[in-house]
Amino acid sequence: MTFSLLHATDFADRLLYKIIPPLKAGMIVLADRYAYTAFARDATRGVDRQWVRELYSFAVRPDLALYFRVPIDVSVDRLMARRVKLKFYESGMDMGWSANPIESFRMFQGKVLDEYDQLVNEFGLDVIDAAGSITDQQRVVRNVIAQHVQISQAELSDDELV
Amino acid sequence: MTSSSDAQPAPGGDADGGANGNILAGRYYGRGIPYLPLEGYPGKLIAIEGTDGVGRSTQIQLLREWLEVRGYGVVETGWTRSTLMQPTIELAKSSNTLNKLTFVLLYATDFADRLEKEIIPALKAGFVVLSDRYIFTALARAGVRGVDRLWLRNLYGFAIAPHLVFYLNVDVKTLIGRVLASRGMDFWESGMDLKHGDDIYDSFRAYQNKLLREYSSMADEFHFRVVDARRPVDRIQDELRKNVAAFLEAAERPSDRAPETLVLQR
Repeated sequence: MTFSLLHATDFADRLLYKIIPPLKAGMIVLADRYAYTAFARDATRGVDRQWVRELYSFAVRPDLALYFRVPIDVSVDRLMARRVKLKFYESGMDMGWSANPIESFRMFQGKVLDEYDQLVNEFGLDVIDAAGSITDQQRVVRNVIAQHVQISQAELSDDELV
Repeated sequence: MTSSSDAQPAPGGDADGGANGNILAGRYYGRGIPYLPLEGYPGKLIAIEGTDGVGRSTQIQLLREWLEVRGYGVVETGWTRSTLMQPTIELAKSSNTLNKLTFVLLYATDFADRLEKEIIPALKAGFVVLSDRYIFTALARAGVRGVDRLWLRNLYGFAIAPHLVFYLNVDVKTLIGRVLASRGMDFWESGMDLKHGDDIYDSFRAYQNKLLREYSSMADEFHFRVVDARRPVDRIQDELRKNVAAFLEAAERPSDRAPETLVLQR
């Protein structure tokens, strides 16, 4: 519960200082993770699903939400290839499911992915196949965004990110 | 607005031993914490509510001594006292970056920490938990600041309904006298963040008036036992003890009659 509420507090702070002002100014806000992360992660930790949704009802509903879906094996392989040390909470070590960080990560994030799959329909997330190459993904993303944002063709042909 | 307990029926005389028809007592108000089911824990949760400077801590200290002499294990918990959150809350209050939403959520995080780490374990172990303020303070402060009431109630759906809630009621005039005589008015207790004006006295008066109205509006919803806190300390304490004694007696009686259920529940 404290984990969930601490994140909500941080989110509220960022929403009011970093998200709402630029939106009011007519800017595009790119959010790396949003309330959906909390929905998936907190439910996996045993927090009531409906409660978390009500908690985040102060959040602005995004105009577009992209979900980069990747199989758990690909996710683990990528992290291992970069030899990153798995973070304690990211691996769900607090759940006490396994003493082995990789095993724990696999179990915990596997459940998180199941939760995300449910969110796709509930919130109409646009699923991007994140198993492919960065270039392929970026092309798909640009196409999806172009449908939502008024961009002139000239800008589209430009290689810069929106 | 009722400012006296005289109008309230004497709860100690209730047929149900003072449960006051509060069927939620000892359970979660709303959706609760799924991974921490409350299964008939023997402890009792008693909340002492009231605005700043009303005399809560004095009453709790006296109540604690009295309960311990009578053989009860007592645990105290107080608003923003969680080890996890207290430094963060103090830090946030000292800067000007807090807004009403983060304010509410920081309080809720502190409460969640104390609930999981202090209150629930103590109830499980059979303690009497004396809570110096409870979620009603959060609801009142946020309500005054215009936070959506339904959202607040959903948020605190993980809170446990106390077995008893004493609301120490006082009028603003008495309150001002007491606060000035002791430690003076402080920024947050005067609701200076609401920007009623530069005058701390006027702001305190306006803010505390609104707070008292919020508390009163919750009295029925949350089964407050309204205690007239304008009276001398020992008179208030007497009333609290009478209510607590009646409640604890009634709560202990059924288990005497049916010892076999005790064995089964071991």
